[in-house]
Amino acid sequence: MIKHVLAALAFGVFAGYSNNRFGNVFPNYFVSYYVFNACLVLLLFVMGFAFGADKEATVKIRKAGLKILILPATVALGSVVGGIVSGLLLRIDLIASAAVSAGYGWYTLAGPLMGQMFGSEWSAMGFAVNFLRELLTIITISVMAKVDKYAPVAFGGATTMDTTLPVIVRYCGSDMLITAFTSGFTLSVMAPFTIIAIASLR
Amino acid sequence: MFDLMIVYSVIALALGMGLGYLWRRKKRINLDRTTSVTIILLIFSMGFSIGSDNALLASMPAIGVNAVVIVSLTVFFSFVFVKAARKLVKLE
Repeated sequence: MIKHVLAALAFGVFAGYSNNRFGNVFPNYFVSYYVFNACLVLLLFVMGFAFGADKEATVKIRKAGLKILILPATVALGSVVGGIVSGLLLRIDLIASAAVSAGYGWYTLAGPLMGQMFGSEWSAMGFAVNFLRELLTIITISVMAKVDKYAPVAFGGATTMDTTLPVIVRYCGSDMLITAFTSGFTLSVMAPFTIIAIASLR
Repeated sequence: MFDLMIVYSVIALALGMGLGYLWRRKKRINLDRTTSVTIILLIFSMGFSIGSDNALLASMPAIGVNAVVIVSLTVFFSFVFVKAARKLVKLE
């Protein structure tokens, strides 16, 4: 699967790039908006269906209960620590790199917000880091799901409530649907607050 | 993309869950193939939007290495913390 994923990604980048050189606006909008969203909605529907049809999934979730809220909290903590450590390693602005990581993969938020707080070069960074997080989650999922069932949820951060949710359910089982969604939702709510809180430390 | 997509996503998910629940007693259907193909298409369109985003491609050489380091460590520590928390609270 990972081979197919990488091939599809490379082919997509190439197609998008060459299309852009010819200056066609329509295929770009069509593929990167309609095709993308149609696939996403279809996948979410199919995964919801698989969850609804799975008798054991609901039982497992009931057993876990409120404990699943620990997951987003640890992902948030881990992300910020990761940001601080990479700031130390790269000798860049510590606060900014911690804030960038606190986007938890929500690049449409992290990009503009980082730009507002730290200037335009960090806006690009906020976009790139969080976009790469989403990409990395999808690319590595077939491998990471075997390492640990919860690894893709940790990787995905806030994206596990929409874009990476169907892929996670596909590889980690339908009982992960609610866990992943809750984690992604909580992190999405936390993202703007954590970025602003970290930025205010400076 | 702060638009109606999140609404559509939640509707699709809820609708799927409801129909799946109603389907429970009927025979099993294998959806693996459908999902694999759709995932590939999804990733292709993601690649397409990266490839056609000039601003993103142009900013990559300058910030690329830093971004890759930050994202790798972010993901790594998230994973380590989750792994540790799972041991502590015995999340199945």
